[in-house]
Amino acid sequence: MRAWLYLIAAAIAGGIVATPAILVFVLFGGTFDDALFAALATLLIVSAIAVVTMRDIIRCGLAMIVSFLALAGIYVILRAPIVAATQVLVYIGAISVLILFAIMLTQEKVAPTKLVFQTQAVPGAVAAIIIALLVSITALGTDWKASADRVRAATEQVASLLFSSYVLPFEVVSVLLLAAVVGGVFIAKKERRPEPGSDI
Amino acid sequence: MGLAENLATYLEVAGTLFAIGTFGFLARRNAISMLMSIELMLNAVNLSIVAFGAFIPTLQTQGAVIALLVIATAAAEATVGLAIVIAIFRNRKTPLVDEYDAMRR
Repeated sequence: MRAWLYLIAAAIAGGIVATPAILVFVLFGGTFDDALFAALATLLIVSAIAVVTMRDIIRCGLAMIVSFLALAGIYVILRAPIVAATQVLVYIGAISVLILFAIMLTQEKVAPTKLVFQTQAVPGAVAAIIIALLVSITALGTDWKASADRVRAATEQVASLLFSSYVLPFEVVSVLLLAAVVGGVFIAKKERRPEPGSDI
Repeated sequence: MGLAENLATYLEVAGTLFAIGTFGFLARRNAISMLMSIELMLNAVNLSIVAFGAFIPTLQTQGAVIALLVIATAAAEATVGLAIVIAIFRNRKTPLVDEYDAMRR
């Protein structure tokens, strides 16, 4: 019985992702890139909504991995393959695993039955909708002087730029990562001596 | 139709993703959910940076470089943020942010 429910849910999810691509490809006469972009953007937005609304937090984490993967696909469509590879390596390979471990370490068994949202959820939703409207008005109303098509960010050019003009930010980021790793280990590892009667 | 050859569509997707992340950060009770929402917002900004780099001629390939640096910074942020959440959880025994009221009592 449950297996059938999962199958139906998977079919619905696949339909939600495939429908915009088919619409773009067949009805509006888009190219293959357009159809792929429509499917990936739909997958990205739907899984992002799932991240912020689902009740069970481990499912939120898995939906987050799906959204990262869809974003990596959009980077490929934008012709930035090195950014897509880094997205898969760093976000899916490192940050998602970190977040899943943190979920494993901090969740209690009764957590899924508690309230998901705070009392300020409705003002938060209003603020988010206002932000989305403002961003979309700005994006559509500005003349960006964009070129007609995407320019490929070739990996050789990215590497030569990263190690010539951007070498100082590169070194600063490496120091920042070292400091973050050391600080993270120090904060998370700190053992407290149990003192009777202490509250915090 | 040119959906994938238009800068504005990428910016729309990025703005929507940023708004979803904002909602999650403001509305969720779980501290780790809030961190996941911050990751969504960082991803949205990164998408807009890569889109600008691909479409604006004066930013050509610089967008990808800046995006790589932003990804590294986001990794550092996630490390420290999750360490802080785990440290607070060890003290307070709950991941829900509205029960962190030690400074109000």
